Amino acid sequence: MTNKIIHWIDQRFPLSSFVKHDLTEYPTPRNLSYWWNFGFLAGFVLVLQVATGVFLAMHYKADVSLSFDSIQHIMRDVNYGWLLRFMHATGASAFFLVIYIHMARTLYYGSYRAPRELMWWTGQGLLLMLMATAFMGYLLPWGQMSFWGATVITNLFKATPFYGEEVVSWLRGGFAVGDPTLTRFFSLHYLLPFLILGGVVVHLIALHTVKSSNPSGIDLAAKDNIPFHPYFTSKDFYGLGIFLIVYCLFVFFFPNSLMEPANNIPANPLQTPLDIVPEWYFLPFYAILRSVPDLVGGVVAMGLSVMVFSFMPYLDRSRIPGGAHYRPWYRMMFYLFMADMLVLGYVGHNPPGGNMLLIGRIATFFYFALFVLLPFLSKKEERWLIQKGLPPELKELMASDAKEKSEMHHRRNGDNK
Amino acid sequence: MKNLIITLVLCFTAAQAWAEEATLEHIKVDTDLPAIARGVDDLMGNCHSCHNLKYVTYLDLEKLGIDRQKIDGWRGDQPINSPLTSLMSDEAAMQSFNLVPPDLSLMTKAREGGADYVYSYLLGYYSTPDGVVKNHIFPGTKMPDPLGMSTTTDHAQREQIRATAHDIVSFLYWAADPHEQERYRLGYYVIGYLLILTLLLYFVKKQIWSRLK
Ligand code: HEC
Repeated sequence: MTNKIIHWIDQRFPLSSFVKHDLTEYPTPRNLSYWWNFGFLAGFVLVLQVATGVFLAMHYKADVSLSFDSIQHIMRDVNYGWLLRFMHATGASAFFLVIYIHMARTLYYGSYRAPRELMWWTGQGLLLMLMATAFMGYLLPWGQMSFWGATVITNLFKATPFYGEEVVSWLRGGFAVGDPTLTRFFSLHYLLPFLILGGVVVHLIALHTVKSSNPSGIDLAAKDNIPFHPYFTSKDFYGLGIFLIVYCLFVFFFPNSLMEPANNIPANPLQTPLDIVPEWYFLPFYAILRSVPDLVGGVVAMGLSVMVFSFMPYLDRSRIPGGAHYRPWYRMMFYLFMADMLVLGYVGHNPPGGNMLLIGRIATFFYFALFVLLPFLSKKEERWLIQKGLPPELKELMASDAKEKSEMHHRRNGDNK
Repeated sequence: MKNLIITLVLCFTAAQAWAEEATLEHIKVDTDLPAIARGVDDLMGNCHSCHNLKYVTYLDLEKLGIDRQKIDGWRGDQPINSPLTSLMSDEAAMQSFNLVPPDLSLMTKAREGGADYVYSYLLGYYSTPDGVVKNHIFPGTKMPDPLGMSTTTDHAQREQIRATAHDIVSFLYWAADPHEQERYRLGYYVIGYLLILTLLLYFVKKQIWSRLK
């Protein structure tokens, strides 16, 4: 019976061949480490956020006089409303954590290099949409930090040439953040995740065209690929279990650790909180914003600090495969970059002034310096490595890669001897 | 791991207290019903005249297991599902304090330091030698010393006030997150389930991958 139904569908829609091509038999490098689990996890968290969000929206009211109360209604009176809300709020942090690890993996292993530039760029687009979604979602509880966070960030659009003031009021729907801001943020907060879903489909189509990168950094011979199912389904589900344990620890035992106390006070436009801090996932970029004394400069620096990742395929000029694994200089830069991110996060968390400002400026300079130096250092490192003699296992890898490529080339040109 | 978390939390709260330039007294909140019941009793007597708890209703108190007769005494002729709104109108409060006292429903979650902050604030009142009442934790506060800490010198009485404050804060802690204990209980099952599930998934993965040479 099921066979019959599937057959019926297959004559009208490529269901079986899709499942075969993209799931069960999709060839995946067998040497992927657990760092390759995070793409799947990001997809999972996206679904989780949409699912919890849809149910929260059934009880939430987007109205400045009702929002704060409706959150308390969800927390107290709705059956398991507290669970939905804590899952959704913790889910936002989980999403960023997973995505940042996914990006760090890409940077470490050089997965952004040809032919995967489009994967990297669609990923960058997804990151921007994720940031926008999280930012708008944070306004919805209409607490003090919601209000003042949105005020500070929308205010940045004053940096727009000529029409600064107009753009800011256009975004807010008024001179100050208010009811029109809340309702439009709610509407967009509901819309954007579906655009993200669309973006994920594009990201995956690109992935299935170029196939997964892998720790060796070169395309593996066909014999080193294994079908996605059951090997990576089982591996991904095991990773999901670990992820869920960490996630549920936060949801059930420390949900408030990720929430700012000031956001349990209803928004009050007449009273500015002592200091306005964004959620942890924005802290490094916030620190960069504040390190530049001038508004326009700060906004440009912050925008650049997020967008600069896009240039990685061009900034990294080394052809040595294997990402940071076979590249001591690049590896060093990677770890310095991670450390710099942590320093920036710490600076962003603390009120500016005195030492913090100085440390923030140095860290900001360092952040951009690493990207600016990369083209020179990567080329120099490549020359140095070749001169020094590549490790034999790497040579072997590259040789087999070259052989594979030329064979493919010959096959394509039909000169099979 | 647990120790690490506790140390981190302590460092974090310590850093925050330091930033506020007054050390908060740590309170071990009592989550048992008798303490909460004493707390709401003390709160209705000492705080309710000025403060709202608009997210807590008399019905919530009854569901929690507070004595129905007491509840009926507090609510008078208000319906059982009405919130614990204070007797003081906003206008009267504006006249007396030039502000409306904040709602207490979420208070232990709405300040850095949480329950510790509220506890220390209530006990932080003292009299200067020239008879002015001040507060260590919130120096410029407009709230008059509600429990009489600043005027009591007798040791036993001071201990009594500390006990009252302890109960009130325990009640406020419940009020800020009424489902917390339920959340923990459910959390143990969820984590337990996930641990077993993940262990099984690990063996499944290992089994499947062992087919590869
Ligand atoms: C006479 C009226 C009055 C009584 C009684 C009273 N309060 Fe207050 N309370 C105030 C006022 C006024 C403020 C605002 C203080 C300020 O912002 O300066 C306040 C503020 C507070 C705050 C917030 C402090 C902050 O950080 O902003 C807490 C917590 C608090 N009260 C708890 C209590 C508790 C608990 C009781 C009962 C033991 C109580 N209050 C009794 C008038 C009162």
